[in-house]
Amino acid sequence: MTGSRTEPTKPTSSNEYGHLTPLFEELAGLSADDPRRAQLRDELVTGHLPLAEHIAQRFSGRGVAKEDLVQVATVGLINAVDRFDASRGSDFLSFAVPTVMGEVRRHFRDTGWLVRVPRRLKELHLSISAASTELSQRLGRAPTPSEIAGHLGISQDEVYEGLEAGNAYNSMSLDEVLSGDTENLALGDTLGEEDAGLAGVENHEALLPLIQELPERERKILGLRFVHNMTQTQIAERIGVSQMHVSRLLARTLARLRVGLTEQDEAR
Amino acid sequence: MVPEQHSNDGEVNVTDWEPPSLRAQNEIELWLGADLAHLPIVRSVVATLATRADFDLDSIADLRLAVDEACSTLITRALPGSTMRCRFLVENDELRFQGTVVSENGSAPSTKSFGWRVLSTLTDSVDAHVKSNGQGHQVDIELAKRRITVDVPGAGGA
Repeated sequence: MTGSRTEPTKPTSSNEYGHLTPLFEELAGLSADDPRRAQLRDELVTGHLPLAEHIAQRFSGRGVAKEDLVQVATVGLINAVDRFDASRGSDFLSFAVPTVMGEVRRHFRDTGWLVRVPRRLKELHLSISAASTELSQRLGRAPTPSEIAGHLGISQDEVYEGLEAGNAYNSMSLDEVLSGDTENLALGDTLGEEDAGLAGVENHEALLPLIQELPERERKILGLRFVHNMTQTQIAERIGVSQMHVSRLLARTLARLRVGLTEQDEAR
Repeated sequence: MVPEQHSNDGEVNVTDWEPPSLRAQNEIELWLGADLAHLPIVRSVVATLATRADFDLDSIADLRLAVDEACSTLITRALPGSTMRCRFLVENDELRFQGTVVSENGSAPSTKSFGWRVLSTLTDSVDAHVKSNGQGHQVDIELAKRRITVDVPGAGGA
């Protein structure tokens, strides 16, 4: 551990900021033009910065630079400090966390496209994605572009356009954020199963450590597709994300495994 | 789409210009440097073809992944600086893809590898062939996926 402070242990996160609570009360008691307000505001924002950093950290690895995320989260924190009403008797943290996360999500929503895609196309892509999910549930399989066109009452050319727009869209970010709290997904431990399912594969020994290094959800998706032979749509439903997201995760995972296997070959 | 022609020095002499023999009129053929950097192009082509042939979204995504996998396998075997040929054909509710490279390695890609497992899961059929001549070995991977037949009233119409 680097840079860890040797203070006594801080048992819970709310205690960590407990010393700041009186400042909110003081702030609430000041008149609007009191010069002390600015000072208190600064102290509150600075004191809660670890919270913003913590939230930024949770969204890292999704294609947006860490520093940018911290900055966006800090803006969210400042908003939270300004809007918090201590007189309502609620706890600042329970107000601040959703506010800061909302700010970060909005950032992903606005910047989740690699290339600037016209708003119309973004919306088209989103409605195609929603239609696809709805039709999948109805049909029990992924829909075709013509079925999506029929469902949305638009032309097939528009569907093609919307699907293509999706390719310009920064891989992970938007899906990840919109699919919510992925850390809490109860995926279960099926590594043993995947292991057995891949036992007949000749580069099994080289492959297993690479699979074990994968994030749990990627590993699960890989197993469901290539061991259990489920379709992307079935996997999407099981994991609770869109089929298009499953598709991107699979592409990324396969590319990662290929690179890993090639490196091992070369090292031999 | 018309297959790309490479003239040697920018000068096209129509009299000795031999049109390549496509196996079918609606076949599409691409020639690319055997370089992983070109994978996105091949992926886009297969996705566009499958989309326009009204394959379902799962099949389109599977074809993208499969072509990616097949081409990666081929490119890693290809002679440095050589080219890869990709052929695409949609016929009778089936999309067929064939990738071909020239390699020093005369053995067919292993059907027991994880990559092969990926290919066979994603497609309805996949095959590898090696043809050897004096200079080297021509390795190809051929795969096919059938379109589910959809009969939804109103779909695609109006």
